[in-house]
Amino acid sequence: MEGNQSFNLIWLVLGFPLFGFLIQSLLGKRIEKAFGRRVAGFLAVIPIVAAFGVAVLLTKQLAGMDATQRAEVGVVQTLFSWIKIASINIPFEVRIDTLSMTMVLIITGIGSLIHLYATGYMAEEKDYTRFFTYLNLFIAAMLILVLGNNLALLFIGWEGVGVCSYLLIGFWYKDLANSRAANKAFIVNRIGDVGLTVGMFLLVVLLAGNKDKLGIDGASGRWLSYDVMLPHLGELLKGNPGMTTAIALCLFVGACGKSAQFPLYLWLPDAMAGPTPVSALIHAATMVTSGIVLLNRMNIVFQMSPVASAIVCIVGAFTALFAALIAFGQTDIKKVLAYSTVSQLGFMFMACGAGAYWVGMFHVTTHAFFKALLFLGSGAVIHAMAHNQDMRNYGKLFKYIPITAVTMFIGYFAIAGIPGLSGFFSKEAILGYALANDHAQISGVNFSYIVGWVGLGVAMLTAFYMTRMTLLTFNGKTEQWRSIEPHHHDEHDHAHDDHGHHDHAHHAHEDHGPDEHGFFYTDEELAAQPHEHEHHHDLDKNHTPHEVPVSMWVPLVVLGVLSAGGGYVLANNHLFEHWLYPNGLSVLKELEEHPHHLPGGLSLMAYSIIAAGLGIVFGAIIYFRGLPKKEGWDESKWSPFRRAARDQFGYDNAMVSASVDGGRDLATFSWRGLDATVIDGAVNGSGWLATGIGKVLGWLQNGFIRAYAAGMLLGGVAILGYLAYALFTGVKK
Amino acid sequence: MGILSVITFLPLLGALLLNLIPSSKTSTVKWAALGWSLGVFAVSLTLLKDFSSNTFHFQFTENIEWMKGMGIAYRMGIDGISFWLVLLTTFLTAISIWFSFYVNDRVKQYFVWIFVLETAMLGVFCSLDMVLFYSFFEASLIPMYFLISIWGGARRAYASKKFFIYTFAGSIFMLLGMITLASLHQKATGTLSFSIIDIQAQVANGKLWAGAFQLQAWLFWSFAVAFLVKCPAFPFHTWLPDAHVEAPTAGSIILAGVLLKMGTYGFLRFVMPLFPDVIPTMAPYVMTLAVIGIIYGAIVAAIQPDLKKLIAYSSVAHMGFVLVGLFSLNHTGMLGGTYQQLNHGISTGALFLLVGLIYERRHTRMFTEFGGLKAQMPIYATIFLIVMLSSVGLPGTNGFIGEFMALMGAFESSFAGAYGLNLGLAVIAACGVILAAVYLLYMFMQVFYGPNNNPENQRLKDIKPWEIAISGILVVFIFWGGIYPNTFLKPMEASIGAARLMAVSPAGNRPSWAESDHEIDAKMNLVYAPNRDGSKITEPLKGNEAVLTPANLHFPVKQATNLEANLSR
Repeated sequence: MEGNQSFNLIWLVLGFPLFGFLIQSLLGKRIEKAFGRRVAGFLAVIPIVAAFGVAVLLTKQLAGMDATQRAEVGVVQTLFSWIKIASINIPFEVRIDTLSMTMVLIITGIGSLIHLYATGYMAEEKDYTRFFTYLNLFIAAMLILVLGNNLALLFIGWEGVGVCSYLLIGFWYKDLANSRAANKAFIVNRIGDVGLTVGMFLLVVLLAGNKDKLGIDGASGRWLSYDVMLPHLGELLKGNPGMTTAIALCLFVGACGKSAQFPLYLWLPDAMAGPTPVSALIHAATMVTSGIVLLNRMNIVFQMSPVASAIVCIVGAFTALFAALIAFGQTDIKKVLAYSTVSQLGFMFMACGAGAYWVGMFHVTTHAFFKALLFLGSGAVIHAMAHNQDMRNYGKLFKYIPITAVTMFIGYFAIAGIPGLSGFFSKEAILGYALANDHAQISGVNFSYIVGWVGLGVAMLTAFYMTRMTLLTFNGKTEQWRSIEPHHHDEHDHAHDDHGHHDHAHHAHEDHGPDEHGFFYTDEELAAQPHEHEHHHDLDKNHTPHEVPVSMWVPLVVLGVLSAGGGYVLANNHLFEHWLYPNGLSVLKELEEHPHHLPGGLSLMAYSIIAAGLGIVFGAIIYFRGLPKKEGWDESKWSPFRRAARDQFGYDNAMVSASVDGGRDLATFSWRGLDATVIDGAVNGSGWLATGIGKVLGWLQNGFIRAYAAGMLLGGVAILGYLAYALFTGVKK
Repeated sequence: MGILSVITFLPLLGALLLNLIPSSKTSTVKWAALGWSLGVFAVSLTLLKDFSSNTFHFQFTENIEWMKGMGIAYRMGIDGISFWLVLLTTFLTAISIWFSFYVNDRVKQYFVWIFVLETAMLGVFCSLDMVLFYSFFEASLIPMYFLISIWGGARRAYASKKFFIYTFAGSIFMLLGMITLASLHQKATGTLSFSIIDIQAQVANGKLWAGAFQLQAWLFWSFAVAFLVKCPAFPFHTWLPDAHVEAPTAGSIILAGVLLKMGTYGFLRFVMPLFPDVIPTMAPYVMTLAVIGIIYGAIVAAIQPDLKKLIAYSSVAHMGFVLVGLFSLNHTGMLGGTYQQLNHGISTGALFLLVGLIYERRHTRMFTEFGGLKAQMPIYATIFLIVMLSSVGLPGTNGFIGEFMALMGAFESSFAGAYGLNLGLAVIAACGVILAAVYLLYMFMQVFYGPNNNPENQRLKDIKPWEIAISGILVVFIFWGGIYPNTFLKPMEASIGAARLMAVSPAGNRPSWAESDHEIDAKMNLVYAPNRDGSKITEPLKGNEAVLTPANLHFPVKQATNLEANLSR
């Protein structure tokens, strides 16, 4: 281990979750059996809390350092050489700076709360320890992503969290729809990953190719390490706008995949198939913000490329608008939140595109508070409503689950942009920087300014659809689920099916003769197995919602406090800005914080308040009395806009059919057409050869000469060789 | 007898000794075979002790006169390129013999052929004489032919013939090429020699091709086709799916794990060092075939209804990455490609093993027969998941390192515009990793997720402890190779560095192999200029020394001589 000894504790931050993962995966089932579920869950929560504790200590230590030195150097710790060859050296090294520690605090802090929440939420789950295995592994991978001191290490975390996400989306794998959603998430993310990889390769080409010119320490070979790469990138990219934009866009493609931006956002709504704590932790608070972290880390590339920054702005604004519109057509409470997440991530990219990287991180932080809160709250609602997620079944829930309701209202006000709450500060900063600056330009058009106004419009929409969600759930005049008739035939069918299967299995099995290897369960063993009947209590009119247990509402309250006050604390006195970028940016020094002249003479704050107010008022007018008739169960009566929004304006369908069906056609053509007909046709066409040699071989096989086949071949080779030798020497003379 | 001969012929001795056991005692035969193969593996492990990572010269060399007049000798030796392949062969053979406890038909004969095959494979990787190499190369066909045609599936006759003819037809041209090389050596020096050390020495100093430059491109292809068939690269790949589907599990493991590597090994051992003047010209063609293979193999794999066929087509794609790495002619890329060979051997070997486990139980490999196995066989599902992800190339597993380095090399070379390589090709190759996720995740979903509706699957027990052990060993290597690849990269690096310099340096600057152990110290070693230990080279380099400097690691040493320039000379 090298590096500053005083930060050695960082290995504990990484080590605790990894240790928790090993405990859960190797011993989890046994612990659960021997000591009960609570102990097993406890053992999953403790490592994350411990990691958070250590992270707090380290952050305090870092905060105590001289700001300038801290920002420039970063504290690098090396554990071992991961890939070390003459041409490149990629050590397993972590970087402790304000950016990485901010993310570590979010990941372990919110991670602790969500782990705690999950011990309650998943309490009835059969595969309890498998869930926490994945969750602990996710935290470890996410920490590697943010702490790694080089892009390759970031990529380990990047794909590592992708796999955990894949495993958790498909957690309830018995339903193939969930597995399909998991596959989609992984594959769409891989598209982004290729972009990131290509970006890395271009950076290596750039650095390794110019090392002599710049006097970069060639001995190290650590091209991808931030401390080697970042100080030189500004100079290297100067006067090479094509390369700069190429690298920036490659990195941005990666960010689009992980942070669910158009055109790669497709996977995130489907990812809601996973358990709700997963949606809160991975698909709202932490993993999906990786793209913003990447852009902050590599901000120099984007500072050097106005074109790429403009594209980041445009993609962010379009995604924010597109997802906000889709949210209006959703009836599943988690889907609304999913699209809201996509939309908010768009806001973060708008900030980064405008050059205000710290604001992107600021919104990451506040969004982590209120979106985790909203998701956990929705989980509490879903928990209370017998796992029914359709808002058309909700209504008047306030009186049944008051703690959930109050905390969720705080989250709702925060995201809607009510002044004083956390979301207000970060959204205000995003719009302010976007409207005031002109970094993001393509051929003279200031896209930053345009997306600022789009953002203001989306802020209005956000307040609108969040009002819709909140009022449909907690308010209204009827308890909608009271009209669901109870039904029991499902269970009956299930039992019947089971019986049939066993019967069947018995006969089918006997057809194969005796099971000499003991591959199969005998009838006795099968009978001795515990029969696990999953009792599903379906939502019906006799259902009474109950408030969630303490392990679930405590995280809600903590997050509620953070969502309310976090924004003010961080924005006050430029605390967050100076923490992340104490010396400002290296290229874009003159970034403006507030637009000076907005039309109508109003300040931005006035505009934002009007936008949020309008959204809330519209929402309240339509939804205060509950579900409007034309948004009911009969979806054919929905307005054309709402139906189009429900179907993501046809985008998802088009992409899926183009890639899946098109891919299948291409594959069938390649296999049946090219492989089997053309290539093999040519091969089989020389069939006389095949038959001839086949006959010879058949004869070999039948005769006792088989054992000498090898010898014969060697002899043949020798004779051939001699003949050819004679031939050649003859030719030469 | 040197250690390499001992390792190479121990399996053959085992095959002979197995005949002492009566055929009826199948259990004894199985245990004896397992014991013997583990013994061979143990003996091969002793190489670790004396193998030096600091030289690219051949080690453990043997040189016994054989057919002196014809320049043919029994020459053995290994370098960093063949070192791991020897260990991979002994390791995977032991694994497949262990798995073959499920074989019940003509047991003794089965193990005899496997041992014969092992000797042939080891011989290929150890021989330094072209005739010896060719003999082992061809000899490996025979046991494989019988393994497929006797213990194979329904279409085994067709598959085994196709396998035999394809590879035999490919390599016949190589034989002619070898003879031509030997006679060219005679023309250059006056003595006939089939030793690649002798021949490469004449290539290095430029004498061999001096008068026969036009021949070089032809001979390049005579070797390249043989190895492309073996890899297999598009469009020479259609034997592979048939051979895999019909082969018994052990055959598939060895076929994917070792036999395919003979192709890529051939490129490194013969094509790169012997045809340096045309390598830069031909690299784009081979690279193009490799990239087509990556995409094509993946697309076709995605719609296969049979597990083995899917993995077979995935091999076409994965071996494409190996070729991309090798023909990037870049240090990182070639090292990555070479490493990817080993990873493919471990990961794909493990996949075939796991498919074999379920095949033994259910006697089918069709996706439609499965579904929901995760609940039924959780341990099996977890191991399968890990192996599948390593095949996808997930960071942290071995599969990532090889692909990452191979692609990085391809980008470096093509970005520099070296060797006529095209950046577009490198980008397309990189997109291949998306497709790998498509077909492998789809396969995993079909088999393990969803409801377990097939009554035939509802009685399945999880895999047994010994089956967990055997696949667990492979999982250990998957993580080892992904987390600490330096263990495997370091011993290869000097040899790969030299192979690259042999291929891309102009005549006179090419390194050449020492002819005997005594010479190594006196002659030269690959020098790592400042990179390795921070020390600077102060003394001027001796004539034949090969140096890896930061300058020539990433980009061409000099713009290598191309075909036209030489032709006009």
